[in-house]
Amino acid sequence: MSEEILKALTQLFAIITKQDGGVTENERQFVINFFQSELDRDSIKEYLELYDNFSGYTRQGTADEEEKNKLTSVKDSIKTLGICKKINKTLTQKQKVIVLIKLLELVNSDKHFTPQRLEIINTVSTVFNIIKETYKFIETFVISEKIEELNFADILIADSSTTKSADLQKHAHVHIEGSLAFMRVRSVDMYFTKYLGDQSNSLNGFIMQPNRVYLFSHGSTIKTQEGVALYYSDLVGDFNEEIQTTKLSFNAKIDEFKFPNGAVGLRDVVVSEGAGKLIGIMGASGAGKTTLLLVLAGLEKPSKGNILINGFDIHTEKKKIQGVIGFVSQDDLLIEELTVYQNLYYNAKLCFANFTEKQLHQRVTQVLGNLGLDQRKDLKVGSVLDKQISGGQRKRLNIALELIREPAILFLDEPTSGLSSRDSENVIDLLKELSLRGKLIFVVIHQPSSDIFKMFDKMIIMDTGGYPSYYGNPAQAVTYFKKVTHQVDSNRGQCETCGNINPEQIFNIIEAKVVDEYGQPTNKRKVTPPQWYEMYSKQFKINRLENVKEQPPVALYIPTKIKQAAIFIQRDFLAKLSDKQYLLINLLEAPLLALILAFIIKYKSAPGGKEYIFRFNENIPAFLLMSIIVALFMGLTVSAEEIIRDRKILKRESFLNLSWNSYLLSKLTILFLLSAIQTFMFVIVSSLILEIHGITLAFWLVLFTTSCFANVLGLNISSAFNSAVTVYVLIPLLLIPQMILSGLLFNFEKLNNLISTKGKVPIVADLMATRWAYEAIATYQFINNDYESAYYEYEKAEAQADYKAAYLADELQRRNRFVLEHYETQDDSIRKLVSRNLKIIRDVITEEPIKSGLETINLDRDLTVDKYSKKIGELLSDYLGKYRSYYQKVYNDNVSLTEKKMTFYEKKGVNILEGKNRDYNESLSDLVRNVTTKNRLIEYEGKLIQQINPVFQDPKTEGLFNYRTAFFLPEKNLLGKVVSTFIFDIVVIWMMTLTLYITLYFEWLRKLIESFSKVHLPVRMT
Amino acid sequence: MRILLVVFATLVLVGCGSGKKADEKAFLESLDSAKNSGTSIDQEVINSVLQQIPSPLEISVLLKESGIKYDHDLLNSPDNIASYNSNYKKALNLGIFGTDLGYTNIYEQNQDGIKFLASIKTLADGLNIGQFFDIETIGRLASNSKNLDSLLLITTQNFNSINEYLQNQGRSNLSILLLSGGWIEAMHLTCDVASKDTKNKELQENIGEQKIILEQIILLLSFYKDSDENMASLLKDMEELKGAFDNISITYLYKESTMEVVNGVAVIKDNSTTTIQITDQDIAKIKAITSSIRNKIIG
Repeated sequence: MSEEILKALTQLFAIITKQDGGVTENERQFVINFFQSELDRDSIKEYLELYDNFSGYTRQGTADEEEKNKLTSVKDSIKTLGICKKINKTLTQKQKVIVLIKLLELVNSDKHFTPQRLEIINTVSTVFNIIKETYKFIETFVISEKIEELNFADILIADSSTTKSADLQKHAHVHIEGSLAFMRVRSVDMYFTKYLGDQSNSLNGFIMQPNRVYLFSHGSTIKTQEGVALYYSDLVGDFNEEIQTTKLSFNAKIDEFKFPNGAVGLRDVVVSEGAGKLIGIMGASGAGKTTLLLVLAGLEKPSKGNILINGFDIHTEKKKIQGVIGFVSQDDLLIEELTVYQNLYYNAKLCFANFTEKQLHQRVTQVLGNLGLDQRKDLKVGSVLDKQISGGQRKRLNIALELIREPAILFLDEPTSGLSSRDSENVIDLLKELSLRGKLIFVVIHQPSSDIFKMFDKMIIMDTGGYPSYYGNPAQAVTYFKKVTHQVDSNRGQCETCGNINPEQIFNIIEAKVVDEYGQPTNKRKVTPPQWYEMYSKQFKINRLENVKEQPPVALYIPTKIKQAAIFIQRDFLAKLSDKQYLLINLLEAPLLALILAFIIKYKSAPGGKEYIFRFNENIPAFLLMSIIVALFMGLTVSAEEIIRDRKILKRESFLNLSWNSYLLSKLTILFLLSAIQTFMFVIVSSLILEIHGITLAFWLVLFTTSCFANVLGLNISSAFNSAVTVYVLIPLLLIPQMILSGLLFNFEKLNNLISTKGKVPIVADLMATRWAYEAIATYQFINNDYESAYYEYEKAEAQADYKAAYLADELQRRNRFVLEHYETQDDSIRKLVSRNLKIIRDVITEEPIKSGLETINLDRDLTVDKYSKKIGELLSDYLGKYRSYYQKVYNDNVSLTEKKMTFYEKKGVNILEGKNRDYNESLSDLVRNVTTKNRLIEYEGKLIQQINPVFQDPKTEGLFNYRTAFFLPEKNLLGKVVSTFIFDIVVIWMMTLTLYITLYFEWLRKLIESFSKVHLPVRMT
Repeated sequence: MRILLVVFATLVLVGCGSGKKADEKAFLESLDSAKNSGTSIDQEVINSVLQQIPSPLEISVLLKESGIKYDHDLLNSPDNIASYNSNYKKALNLGIFGTDLGYTNIYEQNQDGIKFLASIKTLADGLNIGQFFDIETIGRLASNSKNLDSLLLITTQNFNSINEYLQNQGRSNLSILLLSGGWIEAMHLTCDVASKDTKNKELQENIGEQKIILEQIILLLSFYKDSDENMASLLKDMEELKGAFDNISITYLYKESTMEVVNGVAVIKDNSTTTIQITDQDIAKIKAITSSIRNKIIG
């Protein structure tokens, strides 16, 4: 409480008490008591002086002064108003209610109720905006000393009587002398208590003065002299009795549960419970507590037995009980980059499609308030290492994530581990409160404090090997174990003086060891788990609850798939935005790499080395490959961890049955967006430095496509492997083949014979995105740059004609001569050669559009070893001569067209040289024209293959689906249509991306890896 | 947001082409309007004339004998090849580099020779006659300066085969340009040396003798004057050069050939003499015009 407020209060106290007769000793004592509870010893004096000053307190009060006081009461009223307004500005409504109660108590301390005093208090309550009825109610509660007078619906009386003392009030039966009165102030949702009687009870460890009003806050406990504990949650539950008891039945019969390795995890566990119960599960470590919880929650399937919720099997009728179960695992399932509020908000959004934004906000705020997280709502959750909120708060938030959708059955695995005892108590208290609202809650708990232990309605105790050994009231557990082991004082379950139960005692008894002759404990247990189980099965007959015949209560409205994707995107986007490091690295990575790469490979490339000219930069082909690798790398690294990181959250959300597709699409949207930005920055920076013109958009499209491919590939491995390290180790394995088979580092013609096909890109290389991306950008740059595009068509015709005239014609002529010389031979091997040569000639001519001079012969018939004759040979030779000169002419015509076009441009004032220097790259041109090849024409598997000028060749049409061509061809066949290589290659990469998306959607890679790991050697457990 | 807009605007600007389609249309129209030069050129006539022109490489031998020192600045720079985009320029300069290579070889300037070789290979590739230069063989030979002789031999042979090939392929125009380029470079070098070494009669006469070759070149070029603008303009320049040769008179004195026996082998001895009258002014004039033509070609 601030000094200012305290001063204001002191003044209020003074003003009230000085009315009508002035301050009495009792009243002054009350004020002193109040100061004692709020202040240190030194300050009390100071404030008391202040109080005395204001109230005009003197030990010898006189009538004169009284007279004076009456006269000044109007002045006091104004003063009161001023003070109240001041308080209004700083105190919350809850605090104001407390102030009001304090004022009433002050007057009550001496029962000196005068109209003037009450008038002032009434004024205060009006200024505080406390409605009249509430004020009357509070007044009655403070002043009244008889429980009969407290006839309100929001009053609960706890005493030893069995009946109510007034109609409206609620009643609880407690062993206590006198009675405890509880008041709920609805408007602020606060509880107050006072004790009417002679016993000394304690509230949270402090003795309660009779007839004094105490705040009964969250988690408070009142202990009576007899050691009976009254919990906040119990009483709150009593107040809430009007809440309908939920129709719920939970019947689990687990005959046996086996682990995948064959070991038995659980034996013959029966659990049968209804709504509104808080059930604890305890046991030594390795006893199968968590296993039991997982089986009960339906996360593991029992080998024998079933679990029925309202009669619906948890495994076979999942649809019917969707959203009924909530599970809080021991792991942190938070999105670290988001704030506490956002974590809850997005979770709520995925659960309640029917809520408006306002309702959502209310729900989230309410849950945060319930869990005491409202003060922390805007803090980032942070990772375990970079802690922003405490461990207890993390735990509570984890629980809140499940609580917010209010599942009818909640399972929690050690919600208190790692929490302070205060936090633990808060958590369990909250669960208790929930259970009182009709939820069924199972909690695995380890070393609970006595108070926590007693809060459970029932306790299931498991023993090593999955044997149940206790099922029932926790307070009686100690008594039971003492009794069956025939210990003395077996009736005493708890400490006589303090009423505490030591749950450790139970385990000391269960696990008690046999002592050897030297008094040393051995490893042997006095009572083995099966023996405990035997006693258990005799002792505990669990009554199977009648299955409720209706749908379990669900308050879950899953959004549509599109909306889910939108929510996922929003959530992921916010998470990424708030991760400054991630954002910075990912946004800077691309331009930085571009800068480094481009800067390093930019040199004075002009002949003579005076300046940089793009045309002569010999690094451009390598640069293009590096760019693709960079895109691939960025795409992979950015996505490789995505699903792994989310896996825990996915596990949590699996209870919601959200759409996997929506989730994946949200991932892709964000990753693709990031890829688009990254590759765009890379292209811009590198193009500016290296002075690459005219291909910006195409270059970006290629890199973006590659990066997207890598994104989906990364998601695949991310979904298949369990740790980020494995994934990062895998990255080189994925990237290096992409580099090897990109087509630039190693010539496709010079690869291992097993994979290489002359004149065609090897099929293994076709599986590599880099090869397509590289071909796309290299051919695009060569064909579409501003310089070459003007001449490309002529140069293409020129190159094709030159090939035919200068090489093919001669080659065929040579073969024809060979045939002519040898066609009559009887030598088989030579005949074979003749036949092969004829086939080659036949193939070439068949494809040839110009056939003039061959009209008289039938190619298929006459160009065979049997039909070939001298006449045909000469005809062919003649034809080839004409063929040659025809293509020579075509060549010369196109050359002259090129020349003419250049002259045309020059006349128009275009500086051709400048354009070429700017747009054309010699090294890239050498690459796509394959000028370094020694053999322009080779024979491979009975076919002649043109090696030179791939970029000027036309694709051959061989069937609808035969896409295969040599590297760097300018066009390709796409389902019978000729499209540019650029478009074709990009389509191919997107098809690969789509395929990867399908494998991702069905998690084939994950399933494949899991099927590998399932293969294990049978190991017999002894 | 504003940054994004700017970025996209640049993207759009960069992405836009410069109205190439309009250009293409205009070009095709210009082709249509230009009359189809119907006069076909008789390849055989051209080939027979071409065969009479000696390889320009032979000229350079004279230079070394004159005792003038190697001058790197006289030669074309390999750095210039970047600007040779048309076949016309490529062919002419291929000839020029051929002569330059011969010149460097005579003076045993291996380092420069290798540079010229590389340029020759590039230009040849550009003309689709790169197959005559086996880059591996050249590379291997070039790595050892002692091999330069064989390199030169290969290159000379290559030039001969190129000429033959081009004529075969119906691309004699290139062949003509190749020879013209080589000849002009040879003239350029000879004139330069002759202007420094004014006493060298032999050199001067050699220049005078070129009158005959020039006439043949002009004849060859004239075949293309209607079909090829570039060659027409070269022809014009050559005709101007021919004007400078007009004052030079070549008198040919015929004498009966005699037969002599040298070392027991009968040898026919040509007793005819040719007198060439050429003045220093003529040489200066020829030099000036040659230089201007050459500068046009190499520029």
